[in-house]
Amino acid sequence: MTEIFDPEFFSSIARLTTPILLAALGGSICHRAGIFNIGLEGFILLGAFMAVLGSFFANSAFVGALTAVFGGLFLSIIFAEFHLRRKGDPIVISIAINILALGLSTYLLRSIFKVSGVFSHPEIEKIPHIQLPIIENVKILDLLINDQSILFYLSIVIVFILHYFLKYHKFGLWIRVVGENPEVLKSSGINPVRIKFLVLLLCGLLCGLAGAQLSISNVGLFVENMSAGRGWIAVVAVLLCGGRPIPLFLLIILFGLVDSLSLRIQGLGLPQQITELLPYIVCLAVLIIVSYKKLRTFSRIIY
Amino acid sequence: MKISLRDITIDYDNLRAIDDLSLEFHEGEIHALVGENGAGKSSLMSVLYGLNLNYSGKILFNDKEIFWSSPKDAIQHGIGMVHQHFMLIDELSVLENIILGYELDDALGFINFAKIQTEIKALLKLYDINMNLSELVTNLSVAQKQMVEIIKLLYRNAKVLILDEPTAVLTPNETEIFFKTLRNFRLEKKIIILITHKIDEVMSISDHVSILRNGKLINSSKLKQTTKKKIEEQIVGKKLPKLNVRRVIIEEQKILEVNSLRLSTRFSHSQPIDLFIKQGEILGIAGVSGNGQNELIESILGVRKVLSGSIEYLQEDITHKSTRYRRIKGISFIPQDRRKDGLAIKSKVWENVITINLSDQKFSIGPFVKKKSIKNYANQLINEYSIKVDNLNSSVLTMSGGNMQKLVVARELSNNFPLIIIENPTWGIDVGSIAFIHQKILDIKAKGAAILLVSNELDEIEVLADSAVVMYEGNISKRITKDIKFRENIASKMLSGVHFTENING
Repeated sequence: MTEIFDPEFFSSIARLTTPILLAALGGSICHRAGIFNIGLEGFILLGAFMAVLGSFFANSAFVGALTAVFGGLFLSIIFAEFHLRRKGDPIVISIAINILALGLSTYLLRSIFKVSGVFSHPEIEKIPHIQLPIIENVKILDLLINDQSILFYLSIVIVFILHYFLKYHKFGLWIRVVGENPEVLKSSGINPVRIKFLVLLLCGLLCGLAGAQLSISNVGLFVENMSAGRGWIAVVAVLLCGGRPIPLFLLIILFGLVDSLSLRIQGLGLPQQITELLPYIVCLAVLIIVSYKKLRTFSRIIY
Repeated sequence: MKISLRDITIDYDNLRAIDDLSLEFHEGEIHALVGENGAGKSSLMSVLYGLNLNYSGKILFNDKEIFWSSPKDAIQHGIGMVHQHFMLIDELSVLENIILGYELDDALGFINFAKIQTEIKALLKLYDINMNLSELVTNLSVAQKQMVEIIKLLYRNAKVLILDEPTAVLTPNETEIFFKTLRNFRLEKKIIILITHKIDEVMSISDHVSILRNGKLINSSKLKQTTKKKIEEQIVGKKLPKLNVRRVIIEEQKILEVNSLRLSTRFSHSQPIDLFIKQGEILGIAGVSGNGQNELIESILGVRKVLSGSIEYLQEDITHKSTRYRRIKGISFIPQDRRKDGLAIKSKVWENVITINLSDQKFSIGPFVKKKSIKNYANQLINEYSIKVDNLNSSVLTMSGGNMQKLVVARELSNNFPLIIIENPTWGIDVGSIAFIHQKILDIKAKGAAILLVSNELDEIEVLADSAVVMYEGNISKRITKDIKFRENIASKMLSGVHFTENING
């Protein structure tokens, strides 16, 4: 047992969780605003590549995070152009964005860095990690959340900010309204398209950060198709939680836990293909529980 | 205050919705705006409300011309509108719905809920309105939702209230309360513009009435200077045909018989339902919507499982049969919501004229549809029911509400089935179409159909039904037979809902 639950197990939870959490927060505001954005995978991937690009050339993690955000915003604007202005179907656009991000990052990797597969270089500056002396004495907290990247702490703060923002801020109220019925917002004199555009930009920003966390927080390298399904996990989490930030946070922690666990038990000799399935099995399990609860409430109304 | 619309013209693609129309609205007046569906009432109001900016002509406030670029401008000028379909978000609280777009916020944009709440509570007290501000809108009754819409306008300091079919969804009792509030607004010198189909309401509450037809103003005058009959004729553009009520002998055979039916756990405290309909009879079910009428209809159609009891149709127990089986056996259904339940709204007109009879040899060979004969059939229905439609191939969406409803009615009645279930058949449509549909229902009855008519309109039940029951919280009253006091008897049963169980027992 100690082989599984070693210190690395605890500290890896936060590391594995942060990119998914950031992307899912972006996805959740889209969800609340009625934009069916399942392109998070592509957003993360391009963000991850752009982070490496910026960090490598500027020798600065901050610039890396900034370029990652620009990558996210770039996709947001594409999404907005096709969805909001040209009234395109969000699913089609999302799929296009996923494919575009994969192709674009792979192409740029080869044409800029002249490598294929992996690009790693010592000049890629990593996002600094933070030590919180206050919790060093509490063993479990120290293991869980100390010595993590700035983005980890930021993402936790965003969870709560977003929660209060949606509930008590006027823009948050508008986001909820535009998601339920844009006509209502329009009749109150607020342009629903503008709200949705801002929401998409916010989503791009958060997903860009998610990508930066993935590529320049711990490893400092970029791998083709690096997002590897994290965006999809984020989409699932958003849908299961109805875009509510706090349940979303808890669910993603659960995913992170399982993900981390699956990495650990690989060491025990289980085939990698099976352990890598674990997070997805948990996804399905949660889905079944949620839909069972929904079915029960529903059956009381209609057979 | 005075608002004038001068020479307003609105063109949609190739349709002139409003044709050079001028009107004036004065303060302290309830101004009724009447006309058939598509006559241009809503188009005209959307100009006044700033939703439609593509018009020619002028809007004058106290003889000064004004312009706006969005509804927000109009609201700032004190114009408020309650739409026919409520502009409310079910998942939000009453308070959140009221303040939407007019949030009092701090420097960071966070809403000052406490301050707003005191403000609105003061308003409620002033107008003597009861409302729980923290309740979710989804838990409110229709009348309460409407009140939320009104409070919304009051909060925005509206001086002009545009009300689009406000009473279509209210019970007679709720309507009375609502009108009381309107009269209060009149006392406070507000301008009230009432869009309605119900001439009786125009007669009872308005001061001024304007009639629109085909985008033109037919007449605008003080209520005192016109009569109900005149208004009706001006709306339709010709004399309304009188309903031809033939005496029909009700046969002894019971077409539908419902025995000790329990509908839903929602009504676990109510009495089981017993009712029957004989051949050639129309049984009206009156009552405020949401008292089990829906569940009853769904049970008879087989869309909902019943808890216990039996449903017999033509002496056959169909309690556990599928909906399809029941439909094939000859149950027609005209649902209340034509757009959602009655029609495949994005499909073409001809695709919507057949349902259960698709497997008729007339309309299909094996799995293949006989398009030509269906189209012929569609043409036949369109002629018989004088349905206005551009083209058989255009989508149902392009039709007006009245014509959509006629299409549903045509489809369902033309099967000549023994049992027809009808739910609010004239909801939100114009007088001309109403008269037409009523006549068709009477005609099919004369042919020997048994009809179950659920309606929120007392008028409708009074005109059509041979006898009626009232539904309240899943209970069904004793049968009220048609006599001179038919209407009064139904109304009193509806109002005495609280003592309902006593009525049944006693």
